Amino acid sequence: MNPHWQSIHESATSDPRLESRSIRFAGPALVLLTASLLAGCGVTSLMEPYKQTDAVIGSGEQVVVLARKHHSSHEAEGDFVECISDALARGDNGIEVHSSTQFEDMMYPWFEPSTAPLDTAELGELLDKPGVLERVEATGVRFLIWLDGSTDRVSSGGGITCAAGVGGAGCMGLAWWEDDATYDATVWDIHELANAGTIHADFSGRSVMPAIIIPLPFIARPQARACRGLTEQIEQFLTSPSGDGEGINLG
Amino acid sequence: MNRTLKSSMLTLTAVAGCGLLAGCSSSVVVLTDFPTPLIEPLPVRMGVIYDAELYDFVHAEQIPQQSIWTIQLGDANIAMLEPLFDAMFAETHEVDDLPVGPVDLARLDGVIHPVLQRFEFDVPIGQRDEFVEVWMQYGLSLYEPEGDLVVEWTVSGYGKAELERNQEQAVERAAVVAMREVGAAISTQFVEQAEVAYWLEERQNESALAVDSRVSN
Repeated sequence: MNPHWQSIHESATSDPRLESRSIRFAGPALVLLTASLLAGCGVTSLMEPYKQTDAVIGSGEQVVVLARKHHSSHEAEGDFVECISDALARGDNGIEVHSSTQFEDMMYPWFEPSTAPLDTAELGELLDKPGVLERVEATGVRFLIWLDGSTDRVSSGGGITCAAGVGGAGCMGLAWWEDDATYDATVWDIHELANAGTIHADFSGRSVMPAIIIPLPFIARPQARACRGLTEQIEQFLTSPSGDGEGINLG
Repeated sequence: MNRTLKSSMLTLTAVAGCGLLAGCSSSVVVLTDFPTPLIEPLPVRMGVIYDAELYDFVHAEQIPQQSIWTIQLGDANIAMLEPLFDAMFAETHEVDDLPVGPVDLARLDGVIHPVLQRFEFDVPIGQRDEFVEVWMQYGLSLYEPEGDLVVEWTVSGYGKAELERNQEQAVERAAVVAMREVGAAISTQFVEQAEVAYWLEERQNESALAVDSRVSN
């Protein structure tokens, strides 16, 4: 619970004479605090694309989006991988995206957390193994997109108190939380056995929920924004030799 | 309080108790298909022993502050190991015991015996913990068809899955990830065992000698 609100709440319950005065103070204070938090509410973003080759995707070639899973503490969420895959495939100029699960099954056991190549040199060694290159070619996949990172709650605070009585019910208070979506997308070109580039995305969003009788959520969605931002950059990577083409319009 | 009322209350209490107990137990049946590994089969004919313990493996554990968990892995064990061994070796035949009978003695180069030795899992309680984790360890023994042990080694697998609404489904997904890891380790590390490499070399030399003797005759 917010310490300011708690102190007001405690004094109001201890002395009935102060109740009306406390509420008179609490209302504007809460509005002021909410206004200042709402001013900081929203998503801040940082995108750092770096393309190392001029390779672009050709007709009939596909990409596959895979999550890096060798960390014990975190891995890119399944729905985030799905979000990027779906967004890349969407639209009139959508890219052909191979199913991640199907790719991992077809290439089993070479793309499991303990066996997946960690760099393009290891990818080269993997493709030299009997049958592996033929299987990759059969999938039609030219670009591997590795997603590494996660969305985490980095801080939260405040509190909301709700009460119900004969005359009605209501809530009072203010809660806020901050989520940080940090991801790296690394693009490998299987034809050239080269790292085509990396995109670093860091989206941070603060959500605020003031409650004056009813809670009003102002939710920031940094993960959704990171998905849109990364998709746009990956699309530019794959369609423009310099990686800074027009890209798709994500609205 | 009359007898009928007492009896009704006892029945109600028993039903409520059963309901509560049912609510405090979690059951998972790991059922999935595992892909066939993309590997070059070794030129040996292998017998495989699938014990009843492996077929019917059930892990039961009471988690403090949570519930009693029962996790059935028997079908998944076979679904994982059968296609794995079929892809790893030129031929596989299921055998019951060691030493093998005369028919199997003539058609097998070795016998492999997998055992699921340990299964551990963790379902988080705190809001900050996002993953269910599973760790499992298999023991594999390679024997000569006559019953002599060639090598024993252990293979472990770790899997985790995002904890969403359904804890049971998350445990199943984590178990599948761990089993895929085990399959990947068995298929890629089998020939890296020094004793296995030596044994394979011996089998190849024996085959070459047999071919030579047939040619000279």
